[in-house]
Amino acid sequence: MWKYILKRLALLLFTLFLVITVTFFLMQIMPGTPFNNPKLTPEALAQLKTTYGLDLPLWQQYWNYLVGALHGDFGTSFQYQNQSVSMLIGQRLPVSAQLGAQALVVGVIAGLIMGAASARNKNNKIDGTLGIVSTLGISVPSFILGIVLVYLFGFKWPLFPVSGWGDSFSQSILPTIALAVSPAAVTTRFVRSEMIEALSSDYVQLAKAKGLSPKEIVNKHAYRNSMIPVLTLIGPMAAGLLTGSTLIEQIFSIPGIGQQFVLSIPSKDFPVIMGTTVVYAAMLMVMILITDILTAIIDPRVRLQ
Amino acid sequence: MDTWKKVAIGAAAVVVVVGGTRAAGLWGGSGSSNNKNLSFQLPTPIQTLDISKNTDTYSGTIIGNSGANLMRVDKKGDAQPELAKSVKHSKDGLTYTVVLKDNLKWSDGSKLTAKDFVYSWQRIVDPKTASQYAYLASGVQNADKIAGGKGDVDTLGVTAKGNTITFNLERPLPQFEYLLTFSNFMPQKESFVNKEGKKYATTAATSLYSGPYKVEGWNGTNNKFKLVKNDNYWDAKNVKTKQVDVQVVQKPDTAVQLYKQGKIDRVSIANTPELYNANKNNKDVVKAPEATAAYLQYNQTGKNKFLSNAKIREALNLATNRKELTNQVTSGISTAATGLAPEGLAKTTSGEDLAKYVAPGYKFDATAAKKAFEEGLKELGETKATFTITSDADSPAAKSTLDYLQGSWEKALPGLKINQKFVPFSQRIKDSQSQNFDIVVSLWGGDYPEGSTYYDIFKSGASNNNGQFKNEAYNTAVKEAESTNALNPSARDKNYKDAEAALLKDNNFNPLYFRSGYSLQNPDVSGIILNTTGLNQDWKSAVKK
Repeated sequence: MWKYILKRLALLLFTLFLVITVTFFLMQIMPGTPFNNPKLTPEALAQLKTTYGLDLPLWQQYWNYLVGALHGDFGTSFQYQNQSVSMLIGQRLPVSAQLGAQALVVGVIAGLIMGAASARNKNNKIDGTLGIVSTLGISVPSFILGIVLVYLFGFKWPLFPVSGWGDSFSQSILPTIALAVSPAAVTTRFVRSEMIEALSSDYVQLAKAKGLSPKEIVNKHAYRNSMIPVLTLIGPMAAGLLTGSTLIEQIFSIPGIGQQFVLSIPSKDFPVIMGTTVVYAAMLMVMILITDILTAIIDPRVRLQ
Repeated sequence: MDTWKKVAIGAAAVVVVVGGTRAAGLWGGSGSSNNKNLSFQLPTPIQTLDISKNTDTYSGTIIGNSGANLMRVDKKGDAQPELAKSVKHSKDGLTYTVVLKDNLKWSDGSKLTAKDFVYSWQRIVDPKTASQYAYLASGVQNADKIAGGKGDVDTLGVTAKGNTITFNLERPLPQFEYLLTFSNFMPQKESFVNKEGKKYATTAATSLYSGPYKVEGWNGTNNKFKLVKNDNYWDAKNVKTKQVDVQVVQKPDTAVQLYKQGKIDRVSIANTPELYNANKNNKDVVKAPEATAAYLQYNQTGKNKFLSNAKIREALNLATNRKELTNQVTSGISTAATGLAPEGLAKTTSGEDLAKYVAPGYKFDATAAKKAFEEGLKELGETKATFTITSDADSPAAKSTLDYLQGSWEKALPGLKINQKFVPFSQRIKDSQSQNFDIVVSLWGGDYPEGSTYYDIFKSGASNNNGQFKNEAYNTAVKEAESTNALNPSARDKNYKDAEAALLKDNNFNPLYFRSGYSLQNPDVSGIILNTTGLNQDWKSAVKK
């Protein structure tokens, strides 16, 4: 297994290198410069480019970036004067991570409960209602839900604050719910189908024959096997939360990495765009790796190669 | 089934308890700590507190309220001495001598001296600082040279002796006193900047303040912080508000709702026509002009032969119904343009709005337009003409502006065909500067409350004269305003009026609208000074009943 993990880590580094390269050259196609003020004279613009090293040949800029990145230096933001990219991301990443983790935990737990409830009440009213709810949850994008939540619980019945972060836990409730709905819905559907299959399997029949109560059957036997697909889903779901949170962070004015990513693109803040992309890519790949390892631990039939 | 029931009941209970205690005000939210505190909102996070390097309006609001300068703009729009005891200039306008007030202090209690001003001016023009606003110092001796990397910062025409600062200029600058109010030229303490190094002004704690308030609680990225009264400010006795809470709310409609709940004291409603229409009848509405002008530039390089023809340009200008355009495109938020310099930018010596005084009489006349168009085509030996109008894809008003122009022009001028082209903002700037357009929609915001911030645009050879026309009468008038009459405001007003008339005579450009803003403001709050250039909201004297 260690050999496998090492191999995957090496692959991760190579993929990051590819991501850096592609992003770097894609950004060159973007029109304009970070210095968009039409009032800048050509001399002043040239001076600014020299100061930031943007007048160097492209290959040299690319090389400098790679060397810097290897030393952990991702440059200085153009937009946030004086702030290094590592500092900017370092301060904002924990905010996004907390939001994402909260949403994932809430979503998965809600999904496990709803999925099991659905399976055990197969084809009756509860199952039907949960089916509709989970279909809606998958189809309605989180940002629409976010706006609806703001309207309902921020203004119609003002129970929760609708913007900001870090002053109180209550500020994180609405964005967490908005983000949690999609993972909850996905989990519900997977758990339902897995559990229906498990409940009709031989070992559950045996357990029934042994005289176990339905509660024990579900908790001790069916749940464990239904968990496997959920685990494999956590990686992609976490990725969905990352991208989904960019818009949620805008709606709720949360100072996370997504908000900054969105703001850095129109202002052509190259170092921040690069840094954020690299962080996103790395997080996604680590998440997938962890999922693979977890799957192998839980399901002995899976072998890592 | 029991377990599920328990879980459901438990969850419901949590929601009720959490919601109930929250509603009861037991925890969370900004709440109402002290209603004498002011509470304001910014639509984007602030980026920096670096005085020399900031270019962002909202960061500028925070910097300007936590900093002081030699002069400060009063509620009438005039520059008055602030940290300066006196500001005098020589007869030729080339030397300004400023004497500082006694016993000035930084927020940390240390002495604020004339050297702090010299350092700040040197820092902004220093290429190492890489400030995008270094050009504002243009006209001060050697400023351009130093900014271009061809001179030492010590050669800058700003020097200190005792508590006197001397500014030596290369040419008279009519706007110079306003530069002394600018947040980018506020004093900075060299030893402090060096001590903080790379961290300087990236958080509230790594900044030093000279103004009415100090920033507290900004860690570089958070969306909520406050300004608290600076007891070391020279005029602290006239700062009546102890604390200003500032929060970033990015969604404009959320901000309006927060205003209605009494959580913020002032909010813009001009972001979208929908938001404006939904709130324009609210009793708290106040108007705030922006000194931003939208206009069309005609490519007069010969690239499009029709636009090099004066008759055709005249036809297009006459066929433009600015009032209707403004109503349709901005729902009446903005005002129909009457010339180049927008309303609210500056006042004449007699106190009239400059835009009103210089307005040369742009008018809408479809019949005359049609006639001029036919004459123009005849001169060129053509029967039809085609133009492409370029605009920003990112601006919300862009599509409706082009739709309106296309529809109304094609209707008024038979034989004319208009194509629309949308490009990203930065591409539009690039296309404009490389003359890669027929007609382009441009937006210009003023830097200081004096005409030259607009009239510099269309000087022959100026980099922002994207249509590259030469209008001799215009050049002469503007040049006179900025040299002979640089220190004679009333003669300068007259020059600007002549310049506007020259632009209309040749129809070199087409003014569309002057952008305005509307806000809701808590009627209990008074004393906010609104400026169309420089510090957009001055909270120094703001108080809440």
